[in-house]
Amino acid sequence: MLQRLAFCLGLCLSLAANAGVKVGDEAPAVALPGIGGTVGITLADLRGKVVYVDFWASWCGPCRVSFPQLEAIRRELGPLGFEVLAINVDEDEDDASEFLSEVPVTYPIVRDAEGVTPQAYGIMGMPTGYLVDRSGVVRDIHQGYKKSDGEKLRETIKELLGE
Amino acid sequence: MKYLTGLAVALLLCGCETVQPWERGTLAKEEMQWQSDVMEGRMRDQIHASKEASSGGTGAAGGGCGCN
Amino acid sequence: MSARDDNNKQSTLVALTSSALLLPAYQAAADAPPEYTELGVRYSKYEEDDIEGKKSFGGGSERYEIDIAQFHLLAPVGDNLSLALDVQWEDMSGASPWFVGESSSGPRVIMSGASIEDTRTEVSVATRYYYDRGNAGISYTYSDEDDYESDAFSLDASLNSEDGMTTYTAAISSSWDDIEPTQGSIPTNAVDEEKDIRSAWIGVTRIVSRQAMVRFGLSYTYRDGYLTDPYKSRDSRPDERKEYTFSTGYRHFFDEYDAALHLDYRYFDDDWDIASHALDVAWVQNLPEDVQLTPFFRYYTQDEARFFNVVTETTDRFYADDYRLSAYGALTFGLRVRKDIGNWSVNATGERYRSDQSWSLYNGNEAPGLVDFWRVSFGLDYTFR
Repeated sequence: MLQRLAFCLGLCLSLAANAGVKVGDEAPAVALPGIGGTVGITLADLRGKVVYVDFWASWCGPCRVSFPQLEAIRRELGPLGFEVLAINVDEDEDDASEFLSEVPVTYPIVRDAEGVTPQAYGIMGMPTGYLVDRSGVVRDIHQGYKKSDGEKLRETIKELLGE
Repeated sequence: MKYLTGLAVALLLCGCETVQPWERGTLAKEEMQWQSDVMEGRMRDQIHASKEASSGGTGAAGGGCGCN
Repeated sequence: MSARDDNNKQSTLVALTSSALLLPAYQAAADAPPEYTELGVRYSKYEEDDIEGKKSFGGGSERYEIDIAQFHLLAPVGDNLSLALDVQWEDMSGASPWFVGESSSGPRVIMSGASIEDTRTEVSVATRYYYDRGNAGISYTYSDEDDYESDAFSLDASLNSEDGMTTYTAAISSSWDDIEPTQGSIPTNAVDEEKDIRSAWIGVTRIVSRQAMVRFGLSYTYRDGYLTDPYKSRDSRPDERKEYTFSTGYRHFFDEYDAALHLDYRYFDDDWDIASHALDVAWVQNLPEDVQLTPFFRYYTQDEARFFNVVTETTDRFYADDYRLSAYGALTFGLRVRKDIGNWSVNATGERYRSDQSWSLYNGNEAPGLVDFWRVSFGLDYTFR
């Protein structure tokens, strides 16, 4: 029994040690369909811009806090070359649509019900946002979302836009 | 019996199937919470504690009352 | 003061503890305070069945009736805090068993025979701090009755494993209770007594699959002081009690039915030789039109205290004829309905509790005072979205 337990624990640990994207890494590709079966905007399409790649779900509480703030930052800094690429990971698209009707945004939303991109990025919690610079390199990783995070995020984005 | 319980607990705790953070939508549902209604839970605990000889198990015991 | 007035104070039972500390709900996402302020009110009616004529001297008699009003407020404060306020008012009336005597047809209860009101107010404030891998809370609860006063503090903290699959929780609490029975022509057992309760709890929650979670907990509670019931005529209990519990819970969501199964079990053991099993089962069924229907069931059984007797020998060092210390089994069936309308939510709950010695897993003689009751509740919640 102990052997079996040790084996099991070992397996758990090996799974947990899934190396995710770190600051300085090239951002893994995002090429997903848009919400409602539309053609989705890819991360490659946005090369040259500063992009906030945001993993979110309708059931994630802090996502409700982040959406209006990201929308405001994008309205302000969009003309300077900032974009949000929001990746919805809900299993059921209806849940995502309902959320978006309650918290509407104008930035592009893509769907990944299979979890391929969050796996590739190795996210550890919901939401997680990756700030990608104009050359496609991850410069900041933001896990969770609090009300006061918007201001800090805005400053970091401004810095990256100035590079 | 004890051996079996121990084994069951160990297997459950180990549960090799890692549920990724983005796969926890169902678990986050309100109907999956340990306590779905705070006031209902409080009252039931209190009624049971005042009509039965045992109490607790959902946390550290709170203060007493003279509820009969 | 008339004997009748005194008897009403039998409403106050030397405290059997209530209001278990509320554990933080599992956060599927990074730990964060609630997004919105929530407000709720409940009104409940608790009513015990009359005691049967053949079980009491002086024929059938009414027992307890309680009206309960509750208020709950939970609000996020800043980035990392939440604040909760809970207030509960109770208005109790009726009679309760005073002692058990022998009759030619077996043991019978002498009821207090009073019908007068007593009220209790409980106020609880709690704050919770949320950090990246968990949260921690502190709470203070004050409970007040004419003859009973309690102050309780509790602390708890939880920590998620790095992969978020496991959550470890620990809690401690302490309470200081004052018992000052109303004195009158019928002497009570006590004048001014105190009781302290110290309790600790540890638990672990584990995600089992995308649809299931399990938890385990262990607790230890130490009661010290006046544990006798001052309003029972034949009651003398040790001034110390050590309690242990092992509990486990399971939640499983069935996508095909859009419903969740709740299973909870607790084993209890103490140094008064009382042991008990409690099993709770609930099926939370989502229905169209934002309606939720939850049938629930509970089975409870306990062993008797070592100093319990149906009719007591008051010559012993410790003795009690309180039906609550006897061996019995109890069954509860209940139904809860909830409907959400925008930011509002209305709910109604009804439950029936019955107890009987023959339903017990433990041997013992049946106490004539065993209780059956009905409870109905109506609630309204509002979320400030």
